[in-house]
Amino acid sequence: MNKEKDMANYAVIFFVVLSLLLLLFPSSRIAHSARIVVSYSLYPSIHYGSDYEYYVRNVPENFLALLRTDHENRALKDKIKELEIYRQSAAAVFEENTRLSSELELSARLPWQGVWARVTNKEPSDWYGSFFIDKGARQGVGQNDMVLGFANGRAGLAGRIFEVYPDFSKALLVTNGVSSVICSPASGGFEALAEGKGTWLLKMNYVPEDSSLAAGAELFTSGGGFLFPGGVYLGRVTKVYPKESFMNFVTADIAPAVNVNNLREVFVVKRNKI
Amino acid sequence: MRYIGDVLLYLLTGVFYWWWTAHLSVFGTAPNFIFLAALSAAVMARPVKAVAYGFFLGLYLDLLGTNMFGAYALSYTLMAYCVYVMKRHFDMSATFSQLVTAPVMSVACMLFYQVLSLSMAKINPLSLKNFLVEPFLNAVAAPVVFYVFSRLKWKFEIL
Repeated sequence: MNKEKDMANYAVIFFVVLSLLLLLFPSSRIAHSARIVVSYSLYPSIHYGSDYEYYVRNVPENFLALLRTDHENRALKDKIKELEIYRQSAAAVFEENTRLSSELELSARLPWQGVWARVTNKEPSDWYGSFFIDKGARQGVGQNDMVLGFANGRAGLAGRIFEVYPDFSKALLVTNGVSSVICSPASGGFEALAEGKGTWLLKMNYVPEDSSLAAGAELFTSGGGFLFPGGVYLGRVTKVYPKESFMNFVTADIAPAVNVNNLREVFVVKRNKI
Repeated sequence: MRYIGDVLLYLLTGVFYWWWTAHLSVFGTAPNFIFLAALSAAVMARPVKAVAYGFFLGLYLDLLGTNMFGAYALSYTLMAYCVYVMKRHFDMSATFSQLVTAPVMSVACMLFYQVLSLSMAKINPLSLKNFLVEPFLNAVAAPVVFYVFSRLKWKFEIL
């Protein structure tokens, strides 16, 4: 009994120390190795589970023709969404192109290229924080790639790639508490910082007090940020807070362009192809 | 052979949790089967294995989230040790004990995780909805998970 008690004490000390090492030194080699080793335990669920479950669930019994039609239909829907993204990309590029052409006599086309991915997992305790997708390094997904979602036939910023594994990746949502995006209204004029709060809304900070920002204004990513290209629809202002006496800027709430609760498919824009 | 069973149980727990959260979570809430597996292992397994189960299941949950890597591992390790101490004084194999232990330990783990997150990462990870609903869902699911684990232990000598 005493031996068992001793063993339990040693075990708990060992695992507590190990946990603390992971917590205190998240960038150390031991934490990195542990993360890689444990990530293999995600394969049965995030990769194989979601793949097989998806296909099994979508196979109508004994109806091969229906299966083909279904696949064709999906491919066409994806194509339509992809074209919509290209259209939006083209609009942003065209605007920039017009401005640059007039100033520098230069022109360039920068179409967005990427890959469609399915959302395979969302963690209830991190609902507005992250999700897993079924595409990884093998499909060309890289860290910090932009993730777009669709809502009402329109592409909007959903987040960025946070961790990449060979066959799946973890995306960080714009609503995550550690996420922030530099944005500006369609009319331009100023830039502000939209920050995640861990809820369904974003907080827009550092809006100049003399700006004419009002509820309903649409916001887009600003080219001033390094992570995202300019012109990507971010969301709509739902409420502008009055300026506090001790601050020289105003703040606002933003409803994100895509509802993260309904996100089933996303488009990952490859950074090197932007 | 027994260790292979443990590894399989660990992976299957992860698969089941993934499947449930992917398809059966309602308004973003679902029973935390990873927590319940750690709790069941803590009650049924010998102490060293119980603590190891807590640690590795916690790591699995850490990997799913974006917050601090190792925080759930620490929480569940300590939870397993607390259960080991408690089960010397209480009969935790009874259904009523499970119904009480699951929500109490859920809340304790959530609060501990909250304190860790606020003190180390300055992030508030706990939504009020989860804090209020998840312990009750865990309480409802706990006897089922306990039953499955006890059958596995009896039949395959896992745990």
